[in-house]
Amino acid sequence: MSLNNNFLQTLNQAWNDHQTSMVMIRDILMYMDRVYVQQNNVDNVYNLGLMIFRDQVLHHGQIKDHLQQTLLDMVMCERKGEVVDRGAVKNACQMLMVLGIDSRTVYEEDFERPFLHQSAEFFRLESQKFLGENSASVYIKKVEARINEEAERAAHYLDKSTVNPIIGVVEKELICKHMKTIVEMENSGVIHMLKNHKTEDLACMYKLLKRVDGGLEAMSQCVSSYLREQGKALVTESEDVDTKNPINYVQNLLDLKDRFDHFLHESFGDDMKFKQVISSDFEYFLNLNLKSPEYLSLFIDDKLKKGVKGLTEQEVELVLDKTMVLFRFLQEKDVFERYYKQHLAKRLLLNKSVSDDSEKNMISKLKTECGCQFTSKLEGMFKDMTVSNTTMEEFKNHIQAMGSNLSGVDLYVRVLTTGFWPTQASSPKCTIPTTPRQAFEIFKRFYLAKHSGRQLTLQPQLGSADLNATFFGSKKEDGATSTLNKTSSGPRKHIIQVSTYQMCILMLFNQRDKLSYEEIQTETDIGEKDLIRMLQSLALGKLTQRILVKEPKCKEIEPTHIFSVNDQFTSKLHRVKIQAVVAKGESDPERKETRCKVDEDRKHEIEAAIVRIMKARKRMQHNVLVTEVTQQLKSRFLPSPVIIKKRIEGLIEREYLARTPEDRKVYTYVA
Amino acid sequence: MPRRRRVSANDDSTRACSKRARTTVVSSRKSSKLASHHSPLSAFSSKQCITWFHEYTNADEDVIGPEGMEKFCEDIGVEPENIVMLVLAWKLDAKQMGFFTLPEWLKGFSEILCDSVEKVQGKLEYLRSILNDPVQFKSIYRYAFDFARDKDQRSMDIDTAKAMLTLLLGRQWVLYSCFHQFLEQSKYRVINKDQWCNILEFSRTILPDLSNYDVDGAWPVILDEFVDWLKTRQQLHIEVAQM
Repeated sequence: MSLNNNFLQTLNQAWNDHQTSMVMIRDILMYMDRVYVQQNNVDNVYNLGLMIFRDQVLHHGQIKDHLQQTLLDMVMCERKGEVVDRGAVKNACQMLMVLGIDSRTVYEEDFERPFLHQSAEFFRLESQKFLGENSASVYIKKVEARINEEAERAAHYLDKSTVNPIIGVVEKELICKHMKTIVEMENSGVIHMLKNHKTEDLACMYKLLKRVDGGLEAMSQCVSSYLREQGKALVTESEDVDTKNPINYVQNLLDLKDRFDHFLHESFGDDMKFKQVISSDFEYFLNLNLKSPEYLSLFIDDKLKKGVKGLTEQEVELVLDKTMVLFRFLQEKDVFERYYKQHLAKRLLLNKSVSDDSEKNMISKLKTECGCQFTSKLEGMFKDMTVSNTTMEEFKNHIQAMGSNLSGVDLYVRVLTTGFWPTQASSPKCTIPTTPRQAFEIFKRFYLAKHSGRQLTLQPQLGSADLNATFFGSKKEDGATSTLNKTSSGPRKHIIQVSTYQMCILMLFNQRDKLSYEEIQTETDIGEKDLIRMLQSLALGKLTQRILVKEPKCKEIEPTHIFSVNDQFTSKLHRVKIQAVVAKGESDPERKETRCKVDEDRKHEIEAAIVRIMKARKRMQHNVLVTEVTQQLKSRFLPSPVIIKKRIEGLIEREYLARTPEDRKVYTYVA
Repeated sequence: MPRRRRVSANDDSTRACSKRARTTVVSSRKSSKLASHHSPLSAFSSKQCITWFHEYTNADEDVIGPEGMEKFCEDIGVEPENIVMLVLAWKLDAKQMGFFTLPEWLKGFSEILCDSVEKVQGKLEYLRSILNDPVQFKSIYRYAFDFARDKDQRSMDIDTAKAMLTLLLGRQWVLYSCFHQFLEQSKYRVINKDQWCNILEFSRTILPDLSNYDVDGAWPVILDEFVDWLKTRQQLHIEVAQM
């Protein structure tokens, strides 16, 4: 060691002496330098001196090799943690730089190249060692430390121009060659970090991998496959109850988005590439489950209904904005539109909306995303509600003037314009009891007198009724079956709020005490599925909801079972609302029907798009047409090329389009 | 020029035909004012043609129906399903299979200068040869669609289509029997004009091994499905062969 030091010292001393001497010599020969050298374009005195030093001293015999080895050894020692004479190295490097005269070739050849080579070898070995510790975060920290160390070394006592090359070497050996290994390291790699919310570790890894080509690519791929796996698990139908519950389904997806947005911001520095990857992953798995559009609408429905549990107005607003982000990823936006319309109609008609303002707010969000076509019909629904209010005012005045009181029925009618509201195939049947029916007839006459040429059809599947009910039985005492003489409470009166169907059922009991299911069905003419649902909510619900009782007391409803009024009925509330047994979301047959309607609509939309495009362009090649059509429709849904082709064929058959005789792949518009 | 005897499909019927021809010759000699020997070389006479037409009609009708058509075929010695009949119909530009109207008859036969059975027999080779010309064949093929379909519908029902395709493409398209099988197992009940025309194009441009079939070729979906079906079958055959 001391020998080395001495060597460098000695060399440095010689160098300094040389420089000093050369300065003197140069001064003496200044005239020659300025005149002869310039005129004859030869090297000047000082440079000549440098060259002599370089050739005769530095490159003399073993000096060159010895110098190289010394310097390399010293660097190696320092890397191992020992202290070395940095000044000596610095001098030597500077000397080499100067000796290159106008280039850095001497430095490069004598020192830098072997230095980089040795470093590469060193780091190669070190990488194995680091990897052996099997922890990605530790590895990363070590690499970062090494990079800093090498940069500092090069800046301080090698030549500054070596900084970048040496960092390049470190990056190559420690990062590049092991990118995949680090990213995919079990129990410590990217996936582990994502699972365990190791935001900082991810940030470190991001920073590190950003240094090298393909580093971020490797990382984003890993993130993407993990995200896809997580997302897929959330949307795949399985025994998992959550995929059946739309609210949880969507909430889980929102939570997942939140998690990854957090990573995007905190760990990935809002990197555009990562943002794109995350978006495309969401788009991928969201659309794997065909029920996503329906569920998304149900989720929004839940947030727009009265009694949204535990959320302030601002929180609801925030949730809805986040839901819109998911909406953007939907490929089948037309399916969503259909469901949204249905759910909105229910909210408006059953008076379940929190407020008109929040509804309109939501619609304007959708309008921003999808344009007016989407929302114009929805706005029509609101208009109907407002107009109905006005109509009812006029009606009230009308019957007052008439002096009638509709036999005590307080009637409220909402008139819905057919085009705006989701349609049923046909209005279901139902036999309305006399009193309300007559009241409605009076309204009908009044309305049609004002708007001749219109038709009014009652929709019994909607609507509600408030009934005055008197229960004559004594209160059922809990616990003791004593015969204590409790002061009889007398007949109890309640107002019960029921659906139209339920009203029809209950009013039958004004005429008869007991009715079998079959009889009820015959009298009311209500469809079986609905009838069973209504009877379940009247007779088989909670005790505080049980208006009717059934013999026998089982859960199933058979045609022969007998219903009667539950005279023992009690409730703390004067006004009792009977909850209907409502399934969240559609049943499978209903879903199929909706899907059919959507497919029908899509056929028309595709054909309209084809005709529109062909009318404008007159002639078009098949592939180009398919691309254009897809482009035009992609904000609503993604038509497959086969389906578009089928529509083109249909239009050819109906003579809207024709193939050109010269080229069957080109279509023309037939005026 | 010597009188040339034309070979017809059925030798027996030839004798029967020539008998009738002679009869016709005799009667027309009496009726026509022009010197017509009614050898194959005699000049064409519209009047004669019209008279001949009425041999196949009922009473005063101006249209030959299925019965008359049968008799006509017998006379000229050609089966009704023979492709030559289709070519003839095309020449006449007949609107409906099984029927010839007087204007059609007159127009068509004056074009080929036939006013008798013998003359027609003389033209049969010529008519058949028309099929060898690709351009004319295409015209006949396309004509066949409108000719054979039920005039109430826009499309041709699948059974008629299969029969017509067998007639037209059965012998010259290598893949025809496959296509026929494909149609049998498919759910298609009708063939429309676009599909019909493209079948011919397909048979003419696509190689039997389907190597030059392009998915973006704007072929009607029925042909895309045919290719898929065929490829699956070919794949199965390969797999079986390798077992």
